[in-house]
Amino acid sequence: MDLSIDSGEFLAVLGPSGCGKSTLLRMIARLSPPDGGRIVTEPEQFQTAFVFQDASLLPWRTVLDNAALPLELLGSGREARYAKARAALAQVGLAEAEERYPAQLSGGMRMRVSLARALVTEPRLLLMDEPFAALDEITRFNLEVQLRDLWQRRGMTVIFVTHSISEAAFLANRAVVLARRGGKIRLDRHIDLPSDRTNDLRSDPRLGHEMKLLMGAMEEE
Amino acid sequence: MHRRSFLAACGAALTACSKAAKIRLALNWKPDPQFGGFYAAPYQKHGLDVEILPGGAGTPTVQMIGAGSAEFGIVSGDELVVARSRGNDVVALFAVFQNCPQGIMVHASRHLASIGDVLKEGTLALQRGLPYARILEKKYGFDRVKVVPSPGGDISAFLRDEKFAQQCFVMSEPLQARHAGVDVKVFPVADIGYNPYTTVLATSGAQLKSDPDRTLALTAAMVAAVRGGWRAYLNDPVPTNTKMHDLNPSMDAAAFAEVAEAQKPFIETAELGNMTTERWTTLIGQLAELGDIPRAMPAQECFRNL
Amino acid sequence: MKKFLPPLIPLVVITLAVESSVRSGFVPSYLVPAPSAVLRALINSRDELAAAMAKTSAAALLGFALSTLTGIAIAVLLSSSRAIQRAFYPYAVFFQTVPIIAIAPLLVIWFGYGMKTVIASAFIVSIFPVIANTLTGLLSTDPALRDLFRLYGASPAVTLVKLRFPAALPQILTGLRVASGLAVIGAIVGEFIGGQGLGSVVDVARTQQRVDKVFAAVLLASVLGLALFGLINLISAVTLRRWHASEQAS
Repeated sequence: MDLSIDSGEFLAVLGPSGCGKSTLLRMIARLSPPDGGRIVTEPEQFQTAFVFQDASLLPWRTVLDNAALPLELLGSGREARYAKARAALAQVGLAEAEERYPAQLSGGMRMRVSLARALVTEPRLLLMDEPFAALDEITRFNLEVQLRDLWQRRGMTVIFVTHSISEAAFLANRAVVLARRGGKIRLDRHIDLPSDRTNDLRSDPRLGHEMKLLMGAMEEE
Repeated sequence: MHRRSFLAACGAALTACSKAAKIRLALNWKPDPQFGGFYAAPYQKHGLDVEILPGGAGTPTVQMIGAGSAEFGIVSGDELVVARSRGNDVVALFAVFQNCPQGIMVHASRHLASIGDVLKEGTLALQRGLPYARILEKKYGFDRVKVVPSPGGDISAFLRDEKFAQQCFVMSEPLQARHAGVDVKVFPVADIGYNPYTTVLATSGAQLKSDPDRTLALTAAMVAAVRGGWRAYLNDPVPTNTKMHDLNPSMDAAAFAEVAEAQKPFIETAELGNMTTERWTTLIGQLAELGDIPRAMPAQECFRNL
Repeated sequence: MKKFLPPLIPLVVITLAVESSVRSGFVPSYLVPAPSAVLRALINSRDELAAAMAKTSAAALLGFALSTLTGIAIAVLLSSSRAIQRAFYPYAVFFQTVPIIAIAPLLVIWFGYGMKTVIASAFIVSIFPVIANTLTGLLSTDPALRDLFRLYGASPAVTLVKLRFPAALPQILTGLRVASGLAVIGAIVGEFIGGQGLGSVVDVARTQQRVDKVFAAVLLASVLGLALFGLINLISAVTLRRWHASEQAS
């Protein structure tokens, strides 16, 4: 595949199971090396964050300590990283929960902590691998709105892998559909929807139209 | 004379039965010359089908007889008296060792004069629970010697350390030590006046009483067979030694022969295996004085010469 | 109190049953001692038993502490590389399979008669569950969390201390629970050969046909095992209370 991504884009990556979308994400994060070809970035190095499908929090640490973890690993001092962690938690609406433990939180809240943890280093690139797949619909809808809002305010680049056509259409300003095998791109499309997106948009026919196009590319086999 | 013909009659009665009586004999150690006569005994001629169960360290033969897991067992005289005092009706029938072959062996190079000297320094390995050990402790005190558990036939610690003294059977461990190049001196336990019958064939007194006709005949046949076995073994230990060596390869054939010869003085007597009331009375008195049994018991209850 | 009642009831029932069987003569007292006789032996020999229990406890605790530290260290080493694991893990299994009764006399040769042999025996018998459980725990870290740590440039040492070890804690504690009882057994076996403590009391009493004293000493050994087990449970409750399912729902 040959894929070029601009800074500030919200790119959704769609495709059937096993098409390699998660692998692609891991390669971009430099967690796995590509078999052939290269990943080139401009600039060479910058802050990247990754959100997994499971919240993957450290159960023996408080919410605050979990959110602050990336800064702790990067060598940040206590006061500094706690301040940033609190700010990130406030951004996802969890300021009250900082002393709680993951076992005491709901699935949605845990995912929000994971999100706060991703944002705490103020990353330029945010990689997300089906993060909302395990959540119930209402929670998912609200988190999608929140994510979109965060993206707009921070101006970071987001690459969002998902199974869900409606999620891809709602969140992204560009969507890429991968073929079942071989890493080929079936469709690469700019999503034609307003930039401010609320839950009202879900019943808008324009969303349905985008979804139809995406679905068509997915079913082509 | 009268008794001999009675025994012969019992034996004949048993062989007359078409089915041989099934009997288990539990040993309290591995097959070695102290059990020679039991392995040489002509059980089938006396109408008995005997299975010999070899033992090892800590085989509870006295309890096995009481619990019925063996019809006959080998016990030591003192442990039989203690068992009786606890309500375990065990009765002695045949004493292999007329004199107790237990002793303490020391390196000859220490030039010790008496058993009391052994307790003045160094290390002493013995079974602390045995009555003779407690008689020693009462008489001499264990405060100057380091007392450790007996290694049971293993003389490696003894060989390594000159100040190491060890409980032994007079005809066993000392011979091993001499072969390993160490000259030893042995202080027999009998020297302190403690001399129980040892390697004693015993059975359940309760059983004897419960079905006297049959069990008495059976027991008499067993004793007769055992006596015959010991006569044969004392005469010529070689074939039986070969049989036992196969069962217990830890001792080599030469050792078997040597020990068989060395143990003879402890066994030989006018009527093999016979016991006296005086000896049992003395033993009972010593154990009562030690406090191992609450009170003395009549010696006649402890044994039967069949 | 409610937690202690259910296990107490069978204990009381069995004790009464054994007591009456022995008193009535149905079960001979030289085979099974009456519970009242065991109690009497406990009281009559309390000084001797207390001193013996102190020795056995010390040896078991030291042996257990040693096997905990060494076992965890070995597991950390084994978990660091697949090659090391494949090369050395079979030897760790050796600690599990070696019959302690057979090598105890060897221990006496190396460590002499006394405390060192007993501690060594407790150590050998109890170390394998620590290694096995710690290793499993260290190897089962969530791969996503490992990726997270890699993403932020954490070194293997940092990952071990901040991620793999705390994540393995529940599994480590499971291993310690098993090892604690084994340490007591190992100590007693060592004492049969090395000559001190409750093991020696059992050995000597057995020779004297004092089954009541044997049972009294065995009872104390069980109490020791229970105490160690309880200690691990306490540690587990305190450290895992806030975050592990095993210490929560009840």
